[in-house]
Amino acid sequence: MTDGHQFNGILLGGRGGTNPGQFRLNSGGLQWKKQGGGKEIIVNKSEIVSLTWMKVPRAYQLGVRRKDGVFCKFIGFKEQDVGTLNSFIQKNIGATPEEKQLSISGHNWGAVDIDGNMLTFMVSNKQAFEVSLADVSQTQLQGKTDVYLEFHVDDTTGANEKDSLMDVSFHIPTSNTQFVGDEDRP
Amino acid sequence: GSGDARGPARASSELVAYRSPNDFPYSKELMIQVDSKHEAVLLPIYGSMVPFHVSTVKSVTSHQDNRTCTIRIIFNVPGTAFNPHDANTLKFQGNIFVKEISFRSKDPRHSSEVVQQIKTLRRQVASRESERAERAT
Repeated sequence: MTDGHQFNGILLGGRGGTNPGQFRLNSGGLQWKKQGGGKEIIVNKSEIVSLTWMKVPRAYQLGVRRKDGVFCKFIGFKEQDVGTLNSFIQKNIGATPEEKQLSISGHNWGAVDIDGNMLTFMVSNKQAFEVSLADVSQTQLQGKTDVYLEFHVDDTTGANEKDSLMDVSFHIPTSNTQFVGDEDRP
Repeated sequence: GSGDARGPARASSELVAYRSPNDFPYSKELMIQVDSKHEAVLLPIYGSMVPFHVSTVKSVTSHQDNRTCTIRIIFNVPGTAFNPHDANTLKFQGNIFVKEISFRSKDPRHSSEVVQQIKTLRRQVASRESERAERAT
């Protein structure tokens, strides 16, 4: 191994659940290959906008935001990997991964943050969950205060979760000043 | 009792499912789960399990149609007819609320089980809270 790091059993997280695969990081960028072949994700160094670390149950998750707005997340790193990868990333990619915290308080109130294609629901400045607006098939304004997002029903991409997200709606009280007009529609 | 938690409002800080990421259960399978110990409902959203404290849940229903099950969870939001957390949520004006979320389930048995579990837990927590409120007055 001359250049970079390789990890097996890293889960690619996304809409259809998670799939294990091999994660590789080298000076040119990063790569993930599904175990047993199939899906492959390659992110070149030049496409990386930002990186984040988040502590998730039993592991660390690396989030990678690409220039096209797509956000990939790789789950299953150990605590010691974070330091190793950070120094490699700083040296070779020229970015410093930011640390994000996962909200585990169980609250259903917070703020909505839209960055690129990702909509993140934040509780007390910690991330509760995120969804990709690219998968939204329909949005609706219900009444004056509710925004409804419906997701594509995806039967094809090997979804391995038992329960899949169909839709979510947010209640935005009139006292909220973050979103005025149509801004929260993708 | 469906949660007549009137009386003094609880501090919002009490309404916490998990205090540390280490308390959060690890699950291999992504599906709706109930963690009674932490009074939480865990929902699979984009490959992660997301906790919601059961007292944020207003109602839960499931609906079966051919072989597809739909589970719909409605949360407490301000301005609804009865909302035990009004006192809390009033403090958070300007916040955005998750109001409803629905899932399609591949497993009808699991879906009816989990709906029942959420209902039971919700009832338990609501009656405990109303007792606590009564004692306090």
